[in-house]
Order: sequence, then C-alpha cells, then structure tokens
Amino acid sequence: MNTPETPEALGASVAAVEDAQLAAKQDSLSQGRLVWRRFIRHKPAMISAAVLVLLIIVSMTSIGIFGIKGWWPYDFKTTSVSINGGVPSAQHWFGQEDIGRDYFALVMSGTQVSLIVAFLVGISGTVLGTLLGAIAGYYRGWIDSIIMRIADIFFVIPLLLIAAIVAKTASGAISSPWFLGIMLGVVSWAGLARLVRAQVLTLREREYVEAARAMGASSWRIILKHLIPNCIGTVLVNATLATASAVLLETSLSFLGFGVKAPDSSLGLLISQYQNSFTTRPWLFWWPGLIILIIALSVNFIGDGLRDAFDPRQSGRVKKRNLAAAALMGIRPIPVPTTAERAELAARERAASGPPRGGAAGPVDAAETERTDEEEGR
Amino acid sequence: MSHTRESAKRGEVVLDIRDLKVAFASGDDAKLAVNGLDLQVKAGEVVALVGESGSGKSVTSLSTMGLLPPNAMVSGSVEVTGHQVIGLPEERMRKLRATEIAMVFQEPMTALNPVLTVERQLTEALETHNLAFGQAARDRAISLLERVGIPDAAKRIKQYPHQFSGGQRQRIVIAMALTCEPKVIIADEPTTALDVTVQADVLDLLRELKDDLGVGILLITHNMGVVADMADRVSVMFMGDLVEEGTVQEILYRPQHPYTQALLAAVPRLTDVALTHDDEAGRLEAERAGAAEAKGREVVLSAKSIAIDYKVKSGTFRAAEGVSFDVAAGETTALVGESGSGKSTVAKAVLGLLPTAAGELRVQGRDLASLKGKEAKLARRAIGVVFQDPAASLDPRFPIGECIMEPMVVHKVGTKAERVARAMELLAAVKLPADVLNRYPHELSGGQKQRVGIARALVLDPSVLIADEPTSALDVSVQATVLEMLKEIQADFGFACLFVSHDLAVVDHLADNVVVMKRGQVVEQGPTERVLHFPQEDYTKELLAAAPVPDPDAQKVRREARHRLLGIGTS
Amino acid sequence: MLSFILRRLGISAIVLLLASVLVYFLTTISGDPLAGMREQANDPKVAAQMQARIVALDLDTPWFIRYLKWLGGAAGCVWGQCNLGTDVNGNAVLDQLGSAAASTLRLVLLSVVIACIVGILVGVLTAIRQYSDFDYIVTFIAFVLFSLPVFWVAVLLKEYAAINYNNWIANPSFTPAQVVLTAIILGLIVMLFMGGSWKRRVLSFGVVAVVVGVAMPYFTWLRFWQYPQMGPAVIAVVVLAVGAFALQTTVGFKERRVWLPALISAALVMVVYYASWNLLSEPNWWILILGLVLAIAVPWLLGAWLGGRYRPQAIGAAASVTLTGAFLTIVDHLFVTWPGFMALKPRPISTIGSNTPNFTGNFWETFLDNGTQLLLPTVVLAVVSIASYSRYTRAAMIDVQGQDYMRTARSKGLPERTVILRHAFRNALIPIVTIVAMDFAAVIGGAVITEQVFGWKGMGELFQTGLKNVDPAPVMAFVLVTGGVAVLFNLLSDVIYALIDPRIRV
Repeated sequence: MNTPETPEALGASVAAVEDAQLAAKQDSLSQGRLVWRRFIRHKPAMISAAVLVLLIIVSMTSIGIFGIKGWWPYDFKTTSVSINGGVPSAQHWFGQEDIGRDYFALVMSGTQVSLIVAFLVGISGTVLGTLLGAIAGYYRGWIDSIIMRIADIFFVIPLLLIAAIVAKTASGAISSPWFLGIMLGVVSWAGLARLVRAQVLTLREREYVEAARAMGASSWRIILKHLIPNCIGTVLVNATLATASAVLLETSLSFLGFGVKAPDSSLGLLISQYQNSFTTRPWLFWWPGLIILIIALSVNFIGDGLRDAFDPRQSGRVKKRNLAAAALMGIRPIPVPTTAERAELAARERAASGPPRGGAAGPVDAAETERTDEEEGR
Repeated sequence: MSHTRESAKRGEVVLDIRDLKVAFASGDDAKLAVNGLDLQVKAGEVVALVGESGSGKSVTSLSTMGLLPPNAMVSGSVEVTGHQVIGLPEERMRKLRATEIAMVFQEPMTALNPVLTVERQLTEALETHNLAFGQAARDRAISLLERVGIPDAAKRIKQYPHQFSGGQRQRIVIAMALTCEPKVIIADEPTTALDVTVQADVLDLLRELKDDLGVGILLITHNMGVVADMADRVSVMFMGDLVEEGTVQEILYRPQHPYTQALLAAVPRLTDVALTHDDEAGRLEAERAGAAEAKGREVVLSAKSIAIDYKVKSGTFRAAEGVSFDVAAGETTALVGESGSGKSTVAKAVLGLLPTAAGELRVQGRDLASLKGKEAKLARRAIGVVFQDPAASLDPRFPIGECIMEPMVVHKVGTKAERVARAMELLAAVKLPADVLNRYPHELSGGQKQRVGIARALVLDPSVLIADEPTSALDVSVQATVLEMLKEIQADFGFACLFVSHDLAVVDHLADNVVVMKRGQVVEQGPTERVLHFPQEDYTKELLAAAPVPDPDAQKVRREARHRLLGIGTS
Repeated sequence: MLSFILRRLGISAIVLLLASVLVYFLTTISGDPLAGMREQANDPKVAAQMQARIVALDLDTPWFIRYLKWLGGAAGCVWGQCNLGTDVNGNAVLDQLGSAAASTLRLVLLSVVIACIVGILVGVLTAIRQYSDFDYIVTFIAFVLFSLPVFWVAVLLKEYAAINYNNWIANPSFTPAQVVLTAIILGLIVMLFMGGSWKRRVLSFGVVAVVVGVAMPYFTWLRFWQYPQMGPAVIAVVVLAVGAFALQTTVGFKERRVWLPALISAALVMVVYYASWNLLSEPNWWILILGLVLAIAVPWLLGAWLGGRYRPQAIGAAASVTLTGAFLTIVDHLFVTWPGFMALKPRPISTIGSNTPNFTGNFWETFLDNGTQLLLPTVVLAVVSIASYSRYTRAAMIDVQGQDYMRTARSKGLPERTVILRHAFRNALIPIVTIVAMDFAAVIGGAVITEQVFGWKGMGELFQTGLKNVDPAPVMAFVLVTGGVAVLFNLLSDVIYALIDPRIRV
C-alpha cells in the first residue's frame, strides 16, 4: 500500500484540509457554553426567566422572609376593617379578604411557600430520579428490575394519591413546607428515572464508556463522570418540567386539604379557602390562580428553552434559503420543492452520532452539508 | 402486467446534469455543497460519482430526485429523460419519481418502513402511478422480488422488513426502485453498509439489471473497488468541485488530477492472491518465512481456545469458541471476518468487557480471568484500546486533554503537570497541534478524533493495543494517514497490536499474522503472507475474491474467479 | 404475542400488589384515627365510641396482619365473594363502591377518549405545519393549558360557562356586539387552522365570519336554542356532503366502484332514519350498539362487494356516510327531546353531582341529564390531556419525519397525504400509545380534583374521606378499582402496540 506522502498529494487530501481547518480555528467552546448560548437566544425562555426571577424577588422582599421585614406595610395575619368591601385599591393592591386581612401579603406568603415546596420537590426528585435511573440503567439485571417495578407503581396509582398520603403523613410529623417539599420529592422521581435509565442504556454502549470500563475505571466514576453528565440535557429539562408540575401538585394537594396547613398559607390553600367567595369577592379567587399560572407557565417555557438549547435538531426553524447563498452561487435562486425537510437532518444526525453497522462500514457521506460545530451558529 | 412502457434506447442520455450548483444556508452564512457539476448518464451505462465526505456527491443525488431540504438552493439544469427537474413544482416532480428516476439508498436497515409489509411497500408505487392494482400489483411485486433473488417470494412478500437479513433488505430496496421501470436509478452507496460477500452479490445483481433492463445507473460511492467493478465512466468530486472525469480505465489507470492520484494512492490494495490454483511452492516459502520470523518473539498476549457466551432471551449464545492466537511485542495480529463472525467479541473479551466462558487469556503471562480487584486493574493498565466509531469514542463533555489523561487519572499516575506533559507528548506523536488539548471532541473531524483515541490508548504505555476497526468509519485518505501513523507509533513504542478489521487489504498492509473467523469459529490462521496470498480454506478464498480491487481488469479477473469459486455461471 | 401479553399482565399484577402494600402502610401511619376522641376519653360516651372505632378498624392488630386480612377479602373478588372491609363507621365499602366507580370511570374514560382523538389530531396537524402560525399558537395554548391548575379552571368554568349559560338559555338572545365578536373570533380560528396563502386565509376568514354572523341571529329568530330541529332534509344534505368529501379526497367522482357504495349507503341512511323512528324514540343501549354495528358492517359489506380494486376506499367512503348518518339520527332524536328536557330541568348545565337527584325521564332525557352533568368535568379533565397528547404527537411525528423510510416513501412519488398517513402516522403512533397508557394514572388523579370541585360522590370522595379519617378500607378500594382499570388500560395499550408494531408481533 502506498501512502500520500508527497506534498502535492497532501495539498489535496481531506485529512490535510481538516488539519488546516483545525489549526486555523480560533475560539473553542465546550458543549455547556454552546448550550448556554443557544438558551439565552431563546426569547420565550428568557422572558419567562425574567418574570420568574421578578416574582421570586417580589415575593421574598415584599413581606420579608426568615423573619426579616419587607417593604410591604401590611402583614398577612393582622385583620382590619375592609375598605370598600375589600376591593383592590392603591393601599391594598390585591384587595382584602372577608376578615380584612391584606390579600397581597397573603398571596405573597402563599407564593413563597408554593415556590419553596416546588423547588424542593424539583431538586430532590431530580437528584433521586437521576441517580436511581442511572444506577438501574448501568447495572441492569435485578437492580434495574427492582427500581423499575417501584417506578411502575406510579403507572397504576396516581402520583396525586400517593403524594396526598405522604403529604398527610409528613404534615402529621413535622408541619413545615420544607419537610413537605422533600417528602413530595421522594415520591416524584419515577418519570425522570425512567428517562435517565433509557438514555443510560444507550450511553453505556457508547465507545467512550466501554473505553473507560476497559481502562479499569470504577462503576461510580463511569456513572458520575460519563453517564450522568451526558444525560444532563434530559435531567435539566425534566427538572424544570418537574418543578412546574410540582407547583401544580402542591397547590392541588393544598386545595384538597392534604398539603400545606394553616397558619402556613399556599396558593392552592387560598383558592380552596376562597372558592366560595367567587360571586362576592372574585379577586380572592383570581390572584392566587393567576400567580400559579405565571409560575408554572414560565417554568415550562424555561424548560422548553433548555430542550431547544440541548437538542437543536428537534427544534428551531430550518433556515430558509437566504441571500448569502444566492450571492455565493452568483445566480438568482430557484425555489426547491420543500418536501424532505427532516430527512436531510436525520441523515446528518446519523453521520454525526450513529456507529456504522457491523464489520463492513465506510464513510458516511451525508454529513457534507453542515458539520456539527456549525450548529451553534443558528 | 397491465402496462407496457417504452424503455429508453441504449446510448440515449437519460440523466443530464449541467452546471449544477447547490448551496445550503446556515445562520447568516451559506455553504456551497456542489459547485458547477456536469454529468451525463446514458441508458444502459453505469456512471460512478466518486468522492469522500463533503464532496457533495450525496447532495447531487438528492437534487436529481428533488428531495433537497428547504434550506437548499439550486441552480443550473438537471434533466431526467428530458424533463427539467430544477424548479419543477412538487406535484409534477412527484410524478417523475419512481417512473422516470428512482433511488436506492445506503442503509437497508432503515430505508424500509418497519410497520408495513414488503408487499404494501412494493405495490404502493404501482398504485400511486396508476400502473397496476390489487392482484396485478401483487403479482408484479412478487416477480420483482424473484428477480432480485428473494427466495420463496410469494410467501415472503407478506412479511415485514425486520424478518429479512441486511442483504435481502437491500435487494428489496432495489426491487422497490424497479417497480415502475425507471430510466435512471440513483444508487447512493448501495453496498456501503453490507458485508463484502453480500456486497459482491448485490453488485452482481445491479450489473445484471443494468444489462437486462437497459437503465442508466448513477452509482455514488467512495469505494474505488466498487467503481472498478461496476462503472463505465467515472466522475470524481472533491469539496463540491468536479475535479476529473473520464472512462473507468482513464481514471483508475491514468489519473490526471493530484486529488485523484492521491485518492487512488491511498486505497489499500491486496494483490497477488492465489485464488484458484494451489501455488504449493509459494505457500511453503511464505510459511518458512513466517516460521523464521517466529523465533525470538516475546509473546505479550495469548489466547488459548477461548469461548465467549452472550446472554440472550433463551439462555446463552456462544459468540466465539476455540479461538487461539498470540501476539508478540512489536507485532500485529489481525482478527478478520464479516459481521457476526465474533471478531469484535474476542476483542471485547481481551479488554475485560466480556467474560470468557472457557479457555485461557493471558496478558504478559497473567491469566486475566483469575485476577481480581487491584491486580485486575493493574493488568488493565497494560492494555490500550482504539474503537471503531470516532463520533462515540470520546466523551463529548471532556476536553481532549482530559480524554487523553483519563487513564492516568483512573490509575492515579503522575501529578497534574506530568499528566499534561505526557498528553502533549502523545499529541505530538499523533501529529496534532498542542492547543487541541483544550478543545472539545465536536470540533475535531473523524480522523482527528481517531488520532486522539490512539493517543489515549497509549498514554499509559501499554504492552498491548486493541484496535477494533479503527479506520472503517473514515475516508480512504484519512484512513491511510491514520494507519501509517499507527505503524510508525508501533515501531516507536513497541506494543503488541490486536487489530480487528473486515478489510483484508488493510490487514495485509498492517498485520504480521491473521486469524480468519466465521460464526465464532476460527477458519484459518497463520502468517499474513500465507493466509491472504495462498489461502487454503474456501471461506478465506471467498472473502478475498469478494473484496473488489480498484483495477478494472484485475477486478474482472477476480470477479470471474469468484463466480467459479461459488459455481455461478460467469456473465 | 400471547406470552408477551401474559408477561406484561404478570408484571402489572406484581406492581399492583406492591402498590397496595405501600398505600396500606402509608395510610395507616398517616395519622391517628382516634385523634378527635382522645382528649375526651374520660367521657364514657366518647370512650364507647372510641372502643367501637378500635373494633371497626381492628386497631389492636399490627398493620400487616390487617393488610393480609384485607388482601384475603379482596382476593375473594376473583371468585365472586368480595369483601373490601368496612369504613370507620362500620359500613361495608363494597356497597358504596358501585355507583362511585361507575360515575368516576365514565368521566375518566370519556375524557381519555376525547383527549386522544383531539390531542392526536391537533398534534399531527401541528407537526405537518411545523413552524407555521398555527403551530406557534397551538404550542402556546398547550403550554398555558398544562400550566393551569385543574381545580382553578374547574371553578372558573363552573362560575362562568355553566352559570352564564343557564342564565342565557332561559331567554336566549345575542347583542349585535356579541354576534360580531363571535364571528370575528371564529373566523380567525378557522383561518389559522386552514393556513395557506394570504388569499386563502382571507377567504376562509370571510366565509366563516359571514356565515356565523348570519347564523347566530337567524337561529335565535328560529328559537333554535330552545327548540332545536334538524329534520331529514338537513341530514340528507350533510350525509351527501360527507360522502362527496370522502370521494374527493380519495379517488374522485369518476370511479363508480367507489361512488356507488357511498350512494347506496346514503339512501340506506335515509330509509333507516324513517324506519327506526319509533324504535329510537324509546331505545335502550343494546339497540344503539346494534345500530353502531350495522353502521360499520353494512358499508363494509357494500364496499367489499362493489369496490373491486378500490375496496379500501369504497369501504371508507361508505362507512363515513353511514356513521355520519347514524350520528345525525341520534342528534335529531336529542333535538326532539330537548324542549321536554328543558321543562324538566330549566337550568340544564348543573355544577353539582354526577346526575340530578330524583330525575326521572325517558331514555333520551336521562341521557341528556347525564350528558349535561358530565359536560364540564369532562372538558376540564380532557383539556389538560389534550395539551400534553398534542405535544407528544407532534414530537413523535417530527421524529418520524426524519427517518430514512420517509425519504424512501417520497422517492417513490407517493402523494404527501399517503406519506403522512400511511408511513409517518403509524410509526408515530407507537410511542403515543405508550404515553397515553402512562398518562392514565395522572388522569385519574385529575378526576379526584375535578370530582371535588363539581361535588361528585365518586371515587375521589371515597379516597378523600378515607384518608382524612385514617381509614384504609375506602382508600384501598380506590387503589383496587383505579389500579385495576389502569392495568387493564396498560394491557389494552400493549395489545394496540403489538398490532401496530409487527416487530413485537412476529
């Protein structure tokens, strides 16, 4: 066999061109940075993040938290005379409820509690789900069977029901939203565990994982350094979605009377308490519901933005033909029949990730339209 | 058959591409994928469009079918049997597909819809184009399946794609392309995903169809052997440009453009193979040479009749049995075979990724199976590995430096500074710039990743390197670079190399000893000179005969030899 | 295939058993069933009550013994000797279960069916029109819908939709502003739905807006809202229109093998409409089911007989004609019943309970009563599922569109409709079926809340009071029924899965 050692041959070989491209390359971005750049360009997600941060700041500073006083003049326990039947006004932004308590303070206190519970559920459920899913997928066998059968319980029994029982037990033991949040997190890992497991099952067949095993890396190193970091997209996206549904879960439980208990307040509890005031004081019903909607919606949009950022192939408009391309060709563009929009993307995806099958494989040619590192340019 | 359609006259131009340009918009930028291609295909002729990744050859095929994605822009002219395709409204383009121009895709495993029967997928084109319905369509589909060599077609037509083997599926895809008797067939890497022997069969089929039906075939491929085997004329593309065209003899024997020259030079060739006559003298000489060399070897890796089991639903499946070989320092032993031969399974067992069910596997004299805990980990240090798929071989979240240093971290070798120094040293050995250390895998090309993989494998100075199809996913010219590098590094580092490959030409170039495997059994083994040039076993001969060589005349001889071997009448 | 189903059933049984142990244990430790009484334990009356409750709940035995006792009783259901224990007050749970289960399951199943149909349809449409205005708006609406707290929407619907409708139906009329606004909004919705070029959009908006703007006052003038009527002429026109649409989207009007069975079916629809009038005035469920079977079997036979090589298209066209006819015939009977029903129940959309207490009427009146009671809870429950199913369907369809076989299908020159329906949709259904089955438990959870808001005495009520009283028996009855239904539903999804995906079957 001869090799292309002559200089003029090297000048026209793919390998040489690639090496030249690599040497000419300036900036270098990690996957995390690329994801972040895509995420901050996702408008709905960024707007939602701003709204959520604003809501958190307002709810924490207005009535204060951890005993620190806030800038809102009223607190949510003091009763007083209802001004004008408690209609929202300049003094009482959200109005007053039937015994004259300031409703803005009440709603903010409920928002704090609902947010704390939701984030705790999101965090603890995510940690548990990721670990259990990764362990089940990595070890397989009987460990996998046990974990997945337990997760299957949530297939047959509604999460709401188990959460209600756990929440009632928890509030019987320690009546604190913090404890409630963690206990609810303990029961809301099944969905994420299933997703992480599925992904780990494919990742563990990847050659870099096999390489790590072959070099003698411990199982924990493989799980923590290789498997979980590569599931990070799934994990983060689902952590946000889990947080959004935790808001709804907590408020639903409080509405049913199994969640947060008085004197603590929560948005669900407020709706439950004032649903019968609907005809007389509708604002008592509207405010907490709207706040729940805002929280859940913005967290969901952030999750959507993360999903797009982690998996740009699944989303984002395929760029329409543009003028630059026309200029490149020096011609007037002729429209192409727009049919196989995704076919090309799939071919590209395979070329980028899929291992050629079996023993006989050659270069996959479909990657030629675009390389993966250019995807960040969208 | 309910219809008779005029077939194009032999020699008539059925596909005429003139000054085709295709650009893709990405972001605010655009990339020219095809830059002014001219190409004609006549009825009854095979034109090969050759190129490596990024050459624009697949984009060309999609342009002729009107299947480009919406971010593509095309200019120029593509005429299919006289119909201008560029700018043609979708509804009219649709009517040309399958009836005038049809396509055979690369991946038979995914090109067929898994939830529809083969019958449905074959007859729907006939029904769509109003050519045959019901029983008539079914009969035509059955006769097509018989034509492409699916046995028991009347019964099997009711089956689903997953019930057929890869080669059979590709035959079905070909039958599908033929349903409406198109004048042109675009075959986009039709045999790339297939084993060599299956590839040879499929190529035989395509050749027959061309001769019988008089269709024009545009064969898109990267494999020069396939070109030599099939093509009448050849066009070579490089980075979107047409660099050279001519008859197959002109291009393969007298290439003019430096790129074509380099490409052909990079193709590994396996010649001087005694396929039919028994060259006793040559064989003996080759064996003597091997035996002489065998003295004074320091055996590093040895396998003694090992067996490996896979767990499947119904118990266990023996993936390899009675495999014995040894590899000495500075030597390369190759495991060759087709998919399912068990060659990769053996490599995985050596890596400790699969347990051996029987036999003895020794690295530097220590039995791997008997080692536990720390000792096993220590033994692992002596083995490095390079895998097949460059896209998956490096953790996408690790910078290149960390990828290379990972074995040192796992085995707690050296300080941080020492590790970095070692990584730099190895990057230099694989001829990559030092600043790659802080780059990420997605910034590297396949060949570059594979070189990083080699650096990682060598970081602990192993005595054994397992290379599992390290170049099979790479372009020919890149493969040549990587293989040459591997050879050089082996000379420097002196490790023993177990090289797993399906490509006999590569093995011939690289290995000292060869083990030929088939269905988990060793068929033949010995020095490369002997096994690959004076094969004794029919299976080895068959493999050698099926691998096409980039030389039209030699390939014709080899094809006929293969047909004699298999007892097929030569065409 | 059978072994696959049996294995799945076995696993589900184990999971259900596991779930029952967990729920039983958690319920027993969730509180003190005697909490209210302990403080006054000196009062002999209270002490006696306490003693009674201890006996009723068998509190002196350890929880796992009690669980095994319960399990034994529940296992009796297999051979017809059900014993699901007693609640705190000593009443047998089994007696309360029947009506509760019936109303809850009716609500849940109806919601799931509606959500599947609408959700999958919307999902497919958004996937086909990816990145269109329609897609963006549906995406946004879907996000809002699954960010909505169910109980809050339920209360809103109750207060606005139900009460306002009931007020309005007493004396139906529209102000001109209402008419104009409705016409514009409906026009915009249809315009988004149809998409296409600007010309087409303006046209679809204009047509819809004008039709709605004219129809609303006209129907009010007809007193249609109190005395709705349709009659055979309208049925005949609609049926013929549906048949024509079916022909136009398949093979066109020229093919006798397709239009003949469709036309015969249309004639049969009209004949049956008159012939069955008396029978359907006072029907029962069996008659309706028989009618449905006929509405499928007759066009099937006609199509198979006359269709020739267009058999599937002929059957499709004929069946769409007969099914539309059957549906309209039933609607016509409901229209006829409506004034009488209004007399019985002047505020038709009720917000409390699963049926009106002491309501007596004929078959159709009871049907309408159940329907109007079911309407709002079903809408609430279905809406959230529609949002998530449409998203899953969209994702699955887009995923499938990227597959190689889609390119193969297009390279055969198939029309886009065939590519989507035959090649893409079937493959996309595979993950959707799994997700719908997985989501079933969540729908039951939603039903608990919905029932609470609408004051139904369903399974949710059983569960809630049980849990509040630390009373395992009703809670376990809930687990048993909903869990059992969930298992059956999962099994059904496995069967459908195997039917769609031959890789499981063969």
